[in-house]
Amino acid sequence: MIANIKEIKEMIALMNENNLLELEIEKEGMRIRLKKTPPGTEGALTGPIIVEKQTIAQSQAAGDERMKEVTAKAVEIKAPMVGTFYRAPSPETPAYVEVGQIIEPGQIICIIEAMKLMNEIKSEIKGKIIEILADNSEPVEFGQPMFLIEPL
Amino acid sequence: MFSKILIANRGEIALRIIRACRELGIRTVAVYSEADRNSLHVRFSDEAICIGQAPSSNSYLNIPAIISAAEITDVEAIHPGYGFLAENPHFAEICESCQINFIGPTPSNIKLMGDKMVARQTMQKIGMPIVPGSTAIVKNKEEAIKTAKRIGYPIIIKAAAGGGGKGMRICHNDIRLVSSLMTAQAEAEASFGSTAVYIEKYIERPRHIEIQILADKHNHIVYLGERDCSIQRRHQKLLEESPSPFVDHKLRRRLGELAIKGAKNINYVSAGTVEFLLDSHNNFYFMEMNTRIQVEHPVTEMVTGIDLIKEQIRIAAGERLKFQQDDITINGWSIECRINAEDYEKNFMPSPGKIEVLNLPGGPGVRVDTHAYQGYEMPPYYDSLIAKLIVHGKNRQEAIRTMSRALSEFTIEPIKTTIPFHRQLMDNSLFLKGDISTHFVQEMFKDFETPTEE
Repeated sequence: MIANIKEIKEMIALMNENNLLELEIEKEGMRIRLKKTPPGTEGALTGPIIVEKQTIAQSQAAGDERMKEVTAKAVEIKAPMVGTFYRAPSPETPAYVEVGQIIEPGQIICIIEAMKLMNEIKSEIKGKIIEILADNSEPVEFGQPMFLIEPL
Repeated sequence: MFSKILIANRGEIALRIIRACRELGIRTVAVYSEADRNSLHVRFSDEAICIGQAPSSNSYLNIPAIISAAEITDVEAIHPGYGFLAENPHFAEICESCQINFIGPTPSNIKLMGDKMVARQTMQKIGMPIVPGSTAIVKNKEEAIKTAKRIGYPIIIKAAAGGGGKGMRICHNDIRLVSSLMTAQAEAEASFGSTAVYIEKYIERPRHIEIQILADKHNHIVYLGERDCSIQRRHQKLLEESPSPFVDHKLRRRLGELAIKGAKNINYVSAGTVEFLLDSHNNFYFMEMNTRIQVEHPVTEMVTGIDLIKEQIRIAAGERLKFQQDDITINGWSIECRINAEDYEKNFMPSPGKIEVLNLPGGPGVRVDTHAYQGYEMPPYYDSLIAKLIVHGKNRQEAIRTMSRALSEFTIEPIKTTIPFHRQLMDNSLFLKGDISTHFVQEMFKDFETPTEE
């Protein structure tokens, strides 16, 4: 049973009232996730993501407007382990890297948390960050693309 | 009852666990290596997480990856299946400390029974007959020779930390014993990380009889009959049946009650198997206890009507077993053939590859547990089990007839499988008579085999 527009509007209202960035509801084998783009941007809600079976990679890509073409020169930096992806060492500090930034080999680009341990992930190449493919504080699986880099 | 379980395994057993969870209304999380991306257990689970590269050490034995996957999918329990981490007490402990329920026995159960020498001593203390053997690890050739003199040849050297045929050497005299000791120790270290070996009297032409038990967390333990697993090659089982042609009601009760006594003594929880060797005079000896669900569990399910995986899950969730010993009856006869991707004419050489044609047998009394599908590529990194063909009949004769019929329908092409071997087995007069021992396969293949007998 697909949720109707009225229900979705109610969910959106609920999010706004409570200043939520993300809302996920599971009911009768169906899961709906509503995500707001972070504050500071003109926040249009991404559309409802209705999934019946969820693989972590799918939930990242589904309904995603950020699927840009991978140019011949771009490479993906993939997650070397399973865990939760963090862009910054802590919620208060700035992200390790941003889009457009040039990174060097050995530079820390993100953290993957696994079993309560924060693992610093380092870049193996020099390049420019074209796109960030994983979401902050979201789970990633082994081999999941996290960054799109143009090697320099 | 759990709402979500992670299956820390692959292949047919992962699928088996998913099936039980489905019927219990439990959501499932599959973990997979890059080589198993197109696996059936990944397709049929509710969620799936890639945990690493193909080699087992990067994936199915990778504890941090598996625990991490369990955390990010927020599961309440992990079922370890068989093999891999199923009997790893360290893994069971980590699950506990991460507040994830390990569907199986306790870490101390696993540790205790995992050390084969300690297991023998523990069982001996409660009156379980054990095979005469060394009372401690045999460290050098002097100790070995002394022990062998005491027990009498032939003897077998075994790894204290493992089983499955690795680190095992049969010796008939002192000279062989000395040379075999070193090779056995080396093999034991390679397979189990420990050179510790012990010596047992080697029982000639033994029958391998094992008792299935179930124990809940409220001290209630029952036995579910026996399985005869004498048809083995290099200590790997090829065919199993329940009941055993050699076990009558009296012996079944005796073995079952001893198994329960042994389990109670160590406060065992969950499914387990107590293995015995029967000699030609119907003497029996405790061999070892397996603290996991076993590959051959379906034959017990067929004759008792009890779903062992569901019971494991219920037990882990704290439920009481709903049956008493008297409620358990053995009905009819069940046989299982392990269909492996091996070329039995070339010494059972592994034969991985793509399954281009697959036809599964069916009809009355036939059950197939498999993760194979037409177009499936058997990866070379893991075991060679393609499918388990299980049949049930009113008696042994009927079961054999059904198995014969089902094997003739079973088509797997173009890779080589052990189906032709099993078809020969169903025609073998000694097998039909029930005249089998663990030497059976070896004798069947006298021309092909080079046993590690010295």
